[in-house]
Amino acid sequence: MTEQKEHPSIEPKLLELLVCPVSQGPLTFDREAQELISSQAKLAYPIRDGIPIMLPEEARSLEN
Amino acid sequence: MTRDDDDQPATSSFGFTQVAREEKPRLVQDLFNRVADDYDVMNDLMSLGVHRLWKDSFVSHLRPFKGMNLLDLAGGTGDIAARVLDRTDNQADVVVCDLSEGMVRAGKKRFGARMGWVVGDALRLPFSDRHFDGVTMAFGLRNVADIDACLREIHRVLKPGGRFCCLEFSQVHWPVLDRIYEEYSFKLIPRIGAMVAKDRAAYQYLVESIRRFPPQEELVMKMRNAGFGAAKYANLSGGIAAMHSGLRVA
Repeated sequence: MTEQKEHPSIEPKLLELLVCPVSQGPLTFDREAQELISSQAKLAYPIRDGIPIMLPEEARSLEN
Repeated sequence: MTRDDDDQPATSSFGFTQVAREEKPRLVQDLFNRVADDYDVMNDLMSLGVHRLWKDSFVSHLRPFKGMNLLDLAGGTGDIAARVLDRTDNQADVVVCDLSEGMVRAGKKRFGARMGWVVGDALRLPFSDRHFDGVTMAFGLRNVADIDACLREIHRVLKPGGRFCCLEFSQVHWPVLDRIYEEYSFKLIPRIGAMVAKDRAAYQYLVESIRRFPPQEELVMKMRNAGFGAAKYANLSGGIAAMHSGLRVA
């Protein structure tokens, strides 16, 4: 049970395409946390089962 | 940015009920998350299979081409996206974006990695300006909280020369058909919904939202106001549904 947890892959093409819906700024992919980080909007959008959830109300706030 | 928030209406129609504008996305989201698993079966039942023909016509109308960069908005379980890929020998880049995670999951289960899958809001798209050759929206525009804002947002992500095609229920123009349709939709559809999907309220919303949606000419005007050129429409089945299209000119 020590093997690394496999995440369903998110398409690299899709990653390139997405921007933050709030700031229209770029996103960085945190593979470990399976999140897309918008540093401008200070939000982390979750990726669930390879599906990016690009809704601000579902995102984790990065303030504080 | 020319978005003037003052112009946005404070309430939005949810079927025949007025709800706060901020409420609508969540209500629509809940509804589609609930019906996602039965969605395809319900479409067949309610339209007696005709929705398939409408979608075929719609994709012909779009004229997809190889290498096309397409956003299928409110693309739900992937019906339009799959047709576009079929017609381009899988040589189009198609992204399905839908507000409902349940619908996206159902679609991804069905079609996998043939297309990209994103959960997103049609009023705040997670895409940059001038990116897509085409945007399609089939049976989705009716469900957004602010149609005008949605049209502006679609216009924003289209490349100049890019085309928006919308398929939506509309206003029936044939004298006898309109009565039959009225009877059928208001009485029968909520019942079918109650029986098959065990969710009468969701299908009650469906028929009410059809009545609230702007008729053909009014939607053409809205598209023009949002900046689209060559905005026009064609009826399907006497106006039970209509296809609207417009170009981003510059």
